[in-house]
Amino acid sequence: MMHFLEPEIIAAVGILATLVAAMLVRPRSTVPYWFGLVFSAAALVRAFTLHQSTHLYGGAVLGDSYSIVVTVFTLLAVMAGLLLAWDPERYGPEFPALMQLAGVGAMVMGFAGNLILLFLGLELLSLPLYVLAASRRTPLGGEAGLKYLLIGAFSSGILLFGAALLYGATGSMTFVNFTAVHVVPGLMAAGLGLLLVGLLYKLAIMPFHMWVPDVYEGSPTPVTAFMAFGTKVGAAAALLRVLAFGFSLSAAWWGLMLGYLAVLTMIAGNMVALPQRDLKRLLAWSGVGNAGYVLVGIASHNVVGAEAALFYLLPYGLAILLAFTVVRILEGREEAPVTLASLKGLAYRQPWLAVGFLVAMLSLAGIPLTAGFIGKFYLVRGAIAADQWGVAVGLVVATIVGLAVYFRPVQQMFAPGEGATGRFTVGTGIVLAVAALGTLFIGIYPEPVLHAVIQSARFTWLH
Amino acid sequence: MLTFLLVLIPWIGLALFLLPKAWVKAGAVVLALVEVLLFARALLAPVGKSLATVDWNWIPSLGVHFHLSLDGLSLFLVGLATVITLAAVLTSCRDRGAAYFFWLLLAESTAIGVFTALDLVTFYVFWEVVLVPVFFLLGGWAVGPARRTALKWLIMNLFGSLFMLIGVVAMGVVHAQETGHLTFQLASLAHTTLVPAVAPWVFLSFLVAFIIKAPLWPLHGWMPPAYSDAPAPVTAVISGVLSKLGVFAMVRILVPLFHVEMAQAEPWLMALAAVGLVYGAELALRQKDVKMVAAYGSLSHMAMMALGIFTLTQAGLVGATFYMVAHGVMLGGLFLILGWYEERTGSRELRTLAGLNQAVPKLTVWFQIFALATLGLPGLPGFAGEYMIFQGLIQSNVTVAVVAGVILVVAAWYMLRLFQGAMQGPRATGRAPGDLTTPQVGLIGALGVLVLVLGIWPAGVTSHLPRLAPAGVHQAAQAAPRKGGERA
Repeated sequence: MMHFLEPEIIAAVGILATLVAAMLVRPRSTVPYWFGLVFSAAALVRAFTLHQSTHLYGGAVLGDSYSIVVTVFTLLAVMAGLLLAWDPERYGPEFPALMQLAGVGAMVMGFAGNLILLFLGLELLSLPLYVLAASRRTPLGGEAGLKYLLIGAFSSGILLFGAALLYGATGSMTFVNFTAVHVVPGLMAAGLGLLLVGLLYKLAIMPFHMWVPDVYEGSPTPVTAFMAFGTKVGAAAALLRVLAFGFSLSAAWWGLMLGYLAVLTMIAGNMVALPQRDLKRLLAWSGVGNAGYVLVGIASHNVVGAEAALFYLLPYGLAILLAFTVVRILEGREEAPVTLASLKGLAYRQPWLAVGFLVAMLSLAGIPLTAGFIGKFYLVRGAIAADQWGVAVGLVVATIVGLAVYFRPVQQMFAPGEGATGRFTVGTGIVLAVAALGTLFIGIYPEPVLHAVIQSARFTWLH
Repeated sequence: MLTFLLVLIPWIGLALFLLPKAWVKAGAVVLALVEVLLFARALLAPVGKSLATVDWNWIPSLGVHFHLSLDGLSLFLVGLATVITLAAVLTSCRDRGAAYFFWLLLAESTAIGVFTALDLVTFYVFWEVVLVPVFFLLGGWAVGPARRTALKWLIMNLFGSLFMLIGVVAMGVVHAQETGHLTFQLASLAHTTLVPAVAPWVFLSFLVAFIIKAPLWPLHGWMPPAYSDAPAPVTAVISGVLSKLGVFAMVRILVPLFHVEMAQAEPWLMALAAVGLVYGAELALRQKDVKMVAAYGSLSHMAMMALGIFTLTQAGLVGATFYMVAHGVMLGGLFLILGWYEERTGSRELRTLAGLNQAVPKLTVWFQIFALATLGLPGLPGFAGEYMIFQGLIQSNVTVAVVAGVILVVAAWYMLRLFQGAMQGPRATGRAPGDLTTPQVGLIGALGVLVLVLGIWPAGVTSHLPRLAPAGVHQAAQAAPRKGGERA
């Protein structure tokens, strides 16, 4: 019953095909990019047509509707990253393959049902990103790559240690076997704690977030855009799965802890985003804050929370892709830093770009009729259903801070003055249009997307 | 469907961006006029339920219905929104640009949405979206430190409404836990009882949001800069229509859902509104800027409406609702007049201006009529609204009624001070400004006729209102209002 993993298999085959293509054609050809895009699109189409689920190797591989949603989100991130980076001269022929590889890593995290696959996915996701993060040949790029590598390796080590302790405590690697065993609670708690820390590093939850601003700022913007969406999808998916499958009985313990972390991350992340002048750093901190929102859903340890967390990834991802696309357009080929001042007068110079950015900011701020509102509404519902009123209040406080964060750039766009002017390419134009329309569509008529996501999250819970 | 059209048509304003610049205002006028005509259609024709109500299963996964209804309570407030928006569009400068007119129309659409929503989430969506057009109207085109003003409006209002989001979700979740059915329909939620530990907080989350939007003292911080910096048509829309959202929501949501909590907290609520009443009047007396006199006067009037609502009597609620409509027309007109006034004299300082009545007789006449209506002269609508509110106050709390009576005198004082200071006395300025043009007279005349009609025939509005007072809250109120409080 392998065919349930076909989207992932298509994507993996795509990596090889892209690599081969990159070897055969001229270095400046766009053919590898086309390969990456076509295979990702094929995987996406296949993912939409799948309807049944499969469990392989004693629950190690869980190809279910949950993993499909993760795969779809990841493929969206991969395709957006490729379209934003559609410049072989600048990014080189190996870029598409690395991007796809990272995507497959996130997909593996989505269907991982045991600790080994989880670790494998994490590394598959991280290793290409270490390379990609450093691909900008500036001191900032080097700093980003090195920082990401060191901290990433460190967090992987912690996760591995946690996994080892869990194996020692339970004698099993598979998530579903954890609940049945209560032999050495202390050891198990330590294992779970370390495992969580490892995943929270990837999700950029405070206090494990320090790498985010520098890495996001120093990496090339297409890579940053992928990291902001794809990495978080993978990490959040794995976190949700391991907690729901393996530790649902001890939810009172980790739910409380994650709730506190979520509140801290949301509020502090948005607070720090407030004074940022560089747009990429601002979005990086906003990404930290938004990771906190996702964690609200995970922390509420009920089915509504799981649905909310999984769903929120999409509004967040679309909005952050949209914002990074605008950065990408404005920074131009030279990749000059885009500050708030560069946005001055954008609404009059390039109205369509300004509209796209406005949609992104409104969605991140959670204004109704954009996808972000539906996501936040859902998260509040999860928190209240879990009786975590404090977390709901924390979310609201963070959103109020977030408003100031997101409306400052908007005001700059409408302020008079000369800022940067960017040039659309076909790729950036497509990402801009799709992400903006998607955000508005989900905001105005969320039912189809909501229904699909909810079904898959519910499936996970009832497992 | 008619209700939905009322909400939908202003969005066609997006097409204004495609029109050549000279045509933009004309396009906006057409859309605003269509809105007024749709309202007239709703008012004149015997409207069946199917025509005036839409109830679509919007987001089944979240139990959210898109439920709008043009019922007796919302009918005239919707009319207010259409009329004031048309007036604002007509008086706006031709070269404002498409964005300005679009935001103006969008504010109308969202305000109508708030007035007609019968589902808590639908209500919330419109309640929050309304912030966006006003943010741009304040920030994009206003003079002076407009950006701070706009941000203050946005953050203060969102502060309230985001806490309200917790309240909204809590109502739905608690209802679902009680009945197993997730819904946000107001009619269903009215039967939900919250646990005593949670109820006051949920109530508070709604109350604070409504107080900020109105605004009522002490959460009116955004109001003075917004009223002062915005151009006159925008001020007319904010004070005439959008300020009604907060008090209207109290009638629509707080009274049916939280009347128990309201009755418990009544002394406190009364005290809050009474302080606001005195505070607004007191500040209106001290202002040197003509626009700010009207702004703080309006703050005081909002507190009067809130008092009427907090009585929880039929007379008080009907009075407050009628007063919302009347106040909207009066204040909208007054701010338009003050805008013309500023346009002609180039100043808003009360001391430097005087004795204009010789030079601009038409402006003076209309100024006088709107000033008198605002201060509550019998025969004009301010009086009718205040009378009914007083009736409710006497039934429920005589002390506050006395305070409010004193403030009525002060209201006459500051409005007459405004009128006299600007219009009467020896001439202070040199050059004589021009009088109102014929289109301006036509516009303000139309609003003036509306004011007169409302003043002479308040039952035209109040007879549409349903029974608003919750049953069994006020034992005293049950017996008393029969004497004449219920015009319906």
